[in-house]
Amino acid sequence: MATSVIDGPEVGSAAPRRTSGSRVLVIVISCIVLLIIGFGLSLSIGTAAISFGAALSAVFLGGSTPADLIVRAIRLPRALLSMLVGANMSVGGVIMQGITANPIAAPEILGVSAGAAMVVVAALVAFPTMGGLPLVAAAIVGGAVIGLIVLLLAGAGTGRTSNVRLALAGVTIAALVTSLTQAFIIFNDNTADNVFFWLVGGVNFAKATDVWTLLPWTVIGMVAAMALASSLNLLGLGEDMARGLGAKVERTRVLGGVVIVGMTGAAVAVAGPITFLGLVTPHIVRKLAATTNHFVIIPLSALMGSTLLLWADIGSRFVRWPFESPTGVVTAVIGAPFFIMLARRQKVSG
Amino acid sequence: MTTTTPRRSTAAALDSADARRSTRHWTVPLVLVAISLVLSVVTLGIGTAGIGVGDAVGMLVGATDPGKTHIMLQFLSPRVILCWLVGIGLAVSGSVLQGVIRNPLAAPDIIGITKGAGVGAMLMLLWFPMAPTGAIPVAAFVGGLLAALLVYVFAYRRGTSPVRLALVGIAVSALCEAIIRLLIVRNPPDVNAALIWLTGSLFGRSMSDVWQFLPWVVVLVPLIVLYARRLDVLGLGDDLAAGLGEPVERTRRLVLLLAVALASASVAVAGTVGFIGLIAPHIARSLVGGRHLALLPSSAAVGVTLMLVSDAIGRGLIPPTEIPVGLVTAFIGGPYFLYLLAKLARSTTSGR
Repeated sequence: MATSVIDGPEVGSAAPRRTSGSRVLVIVISCIVLLIIGFGLSLSIGTAAISFGAALSAVFLGGSTPADLIVRAIRLPRALLSMLVGANMSVGGVIMQGITANPIAAPEILGVSAGAAMVVVAALVAFPTMGGLPLVAAAIVGGAVIGLIVLLLAGAGTGRTSNVRLALAGVTIAALVTSLTQAFIIFNDNTADNVFFWLVGGVNFAKATDVWTLLPWTVIGMVAAMALASSLNLLGLGEDMARGLGAKVERTRVLGGVVIVGMTGAAVAVAGPITFLGLVTPHIVRKLAATTNHFVIIPLSALMGSTLLLWADIGSRFVRWPFESPTGVVTAVIGAPFFIMLARRQKVSG
Repeated sequence: MTTTTPRRSTAAALDSADARRSTRHWTVPLVLVAISLVLSVVTLGIGTAGIGVGDAVGMLVGATDPGKTHIMLQFLSPRVILCWLVGIGLAVSGSVLQGVIRNPLAAPDIIGITKGAGVGAMLMLLWFPMAPTGAIPVAAFVGGLLAALLVYVFAYRRGTSPVRLALVGIAVSALCEAIIRLLIVRNPPDVNAALIWLTGSLFGRSMSDVWQFLPWVVVLVPLIVLYARRLDVLGLGDDLAAGLGEPVERTRRLVLLLAVALASASVAVAGTVGFIGLIAPHIARSLVGGRHLALLPSSAAVGVTLMLVSDAIGRGLIPPTEIPVGLVTAFIGGPYFLYLLAKLARSTTSGR
């Protein structure tokens, strides 16, 4: 990089289409407004109806009425966790789509989420008290191994990987891994609710410790993702072009993979394999912001992913009121039609 | 296979190739059927207290006591018969799909049919709990058909391309899965039964299930075999097939319809048993080659063998707990599928 005449980051930021700043600003502001409204609703909606004002006072002024305790112990962690998980999954999706140059790539489609979930379930079967960092580590290992298997089996690196084969391999292996997860659960004789939680994922039973477990991964992941942004921009020009401009394509891919499994694995360890967020958010962002610049896409995806999952979580409370339904059910129902649309749009050669 | 001159002589060439290999074409499925028959008897008693292989053999010659015979006839033989029927249904359907879509990874469970049929059957169960049991396969068929139609419509752009069919199939499959999960979440009392059914299980099936499912297999499988020749022609590629005078799109539609019906009926009776429709055709192809007249019976026989072995393992591994057969097929089929993918990744011709 140092010896190169053309400096990487400058080329990276100049090459993509020019972003209209006001457009991005509008998106950011509307996302933040929606996020704040969603946050308030998330605190006040539930089996115990708590007014907006009471919820806010519980968070900011403290207090020890039952309502205050419910808000602080149950609803606040839940709202925060859904925001963190949303950001993690979405940024994971952005990078995945960037390094594979494949619009239908996402952690959940290429098996990373399913792999992480399987190892988490297996770990919990073996060591029921496991939690925190060891569990996250287990999830990351699982996600990395399954993701690598998918890439290898789809023929990545041979120059013959097609979008479709990657998706087919990923989905099938995800199905297999999910079967294994189910088997672990059956042997462990768990209740159906737990089964569902681990098959579709949700932030329903969030605890404050989950938030603290996830937070460092989100922060580090975001920093690392931003550090990769210029390389991802170069890669977006096409592999040959990127190489020609002196980009280290392999290094970008490996580092991107590390960020993906770190962010996704941590999210899955606390919230289960919530689907479709990583696939959908980057597309919405790219479409709305009309940009291919990762310096914009990555933070915007994090913001929008947070907003989406926060609202999906609110929606999940109404699926079977007054009982809890896993958040992943809502994201799947919303995201699947989107997936169909993307699949239809695929340019197919031959 | 190398003698595919695009002329009227193709049929003749295929015929002579047929004659040369006919011995193998018929011995392979026959041997497999023989193995399946033996397996049927041997696995009959597995997992049930007090009934062994000896009893099952004894029943055939009429030497077992009436009590055990009753149990075997009443509770165990329907399962074995269903293993046969489901194995045939899924494997034949899978062979047809792989032939039509020309994608080695195509299978009813991957391109949306299985999940669509699941949605249909579940809606029937939830909305009309009092409906006669014969209605469930019909609902599953409607669901599978709708899913397949959805796939076809969304993949259609001046004709369908095999690749886009497969991809849209995955997406539609995901949609159906989402709907199934939503249904399960909204109807909690049925969660456990629904989960087991979704994994695919033959637990508690009776002769009435057999009678319900039998007509679908008996009617559809011969119809598909009638189309074996034309499937071969489709396998040559759209352009070549059209050049040979084959109405490509029409044949594809018709054969897909038959395959959908067969897979849907299988799902209605056994739940979403995975991987059989995917791997049975591959195993069969490696044994007898890609000609459908030979492939279809061999594939069916492989499917039956796989189902029998899987169900026996499911019953016998940790009795009295029963592992749903769908989980076992996933365990057996998954690694084979991985091997298959690795092989495909190495080969250079199937990059798409």
